Amino acid sequence: MAAMKPTSSRRPSRWVVVAAFAVAIAAAVALIAAALLLRNDGGSTATSSTPAIDFSGIPQAGAMLGAPQAKVTLIEYADVQCPACRIYTEEVLPTVVDEYVRPGKVKAEYRGYPFLGEDSLKGERFLLAAAEQGKLWQLVDAFYRNQGAENSGWLTDDLIRQLASEIPGLDVDTLFARAQTDELGQAAQQAAAEAQSAGISGTPTLLVKIGDADPYQIQVATPDQVRAALDDALKG
Amino acid sequence: MRLAAALVAVAGIGVAGYLTWAHFADSQVICVAGGGCETVQTSSYSELAGVPLALLGLLSYSVILALIAWDAPLARLGAAVLAVVGLLFGLYLIAVQLFVIDATCVWCMVNDALIAPALAVLTALRLRTEPDDATS
Repeated sequence: MAAMKPTSSRRPSRWVVVAAFAVAIAAAVALIAAALLLRNDGGSTATSSTPAIDFSGIPQAGAMLGAPQAKVTLIEYADVQCPACRIYTEEVLPTVVDEYVRPGKVKAEYRGYPFLGEDSLKGERFLLAAAEQGKLWQLVDAFYRNQGAENSGWLTDDLIRQLASEIPGLDVDTLFARAQTDELGQAAQQAAAEAQSAGISGTPTLLVKIGDADPYQIQVATPDQVRAALDDALKG
Repeated sequence: MRLAAALVAVAGIGVAGYLTWAHFADSQVICVAGGGCETVQTSSYSELAGVPLALLGLLSYSVILALIAWDAPLARLGAAVLAVVGLLFGLYLIAVQLFVIDATCVWCMVNDALIAPALAVLTALRLRTEPDDATS
């Protein structure tokens, strides 16, 4: 068929092609620059708006929270700088405490795994010191609700002092004195080493332990998921 | 080759579509020992001004597929240009994964290292032939 070739069916001239590819390269560079400049800041530095968990009336001994005779233990490996641990503490932990720990069904155990940086070790030392006064969990909650960007130096002494002074019954001076000892410094390193040799690969890692049996890992990102996992453990 | 280019574009749509869905789906964030807390999909590098990169890829591949179907010479040029932009941006993303985040996501790499380059090559090659060339 003798088609009438419209002029646009001819190949574009060499110069058009070169110009087009120059535009392509310029556009790619602009996109990359935009992608770098318009990133959202990786860590939120705002104080969380979720209310502090109410731990009053729940027995605490060291890293354990809850009735000592509870058969099921929920173990949490966490780093104070870990944003995912913050999310767990704000969104899932309240359910664990209100619906399972407070009624005495489950007890919770915090195992620090300070691996992300210097502030992780610093945070762990203060948590261990707070544990000596039976206030570890209040400080855990306070740290996560005020967490800053990873390794940004957000965990200042001033912040810790301010948060600690808001915890009723916590002696702030003793907290600082103990946190700064070599003894607790080594204990913090030890905690990280133990988590590593236990094969913990990241945080938060949650394990359920029924009685004296070996703990098994659970994956929970929502309150419903933790309810399902804990109900399941309580049945067995 | 037109069919090959179209198929690669469709593959790109598939992978980008999956990555877009995965970006929005509930994914468990975790901090990995030996690395950091940013996984590739949830890292701040995975969005441009709040728009997921996977979604940009999905739109780009769709436009490229439409241009391949249209097949006019300027459409071919447009497809090649867009594919080259995608290729260069993909190279940047490979660099971010390997050198900045220290983490890679398999499907991201499939896109950045296979689909984007293949599409760029195919659409560029098609610039050298006439629209009704039997071999294209």
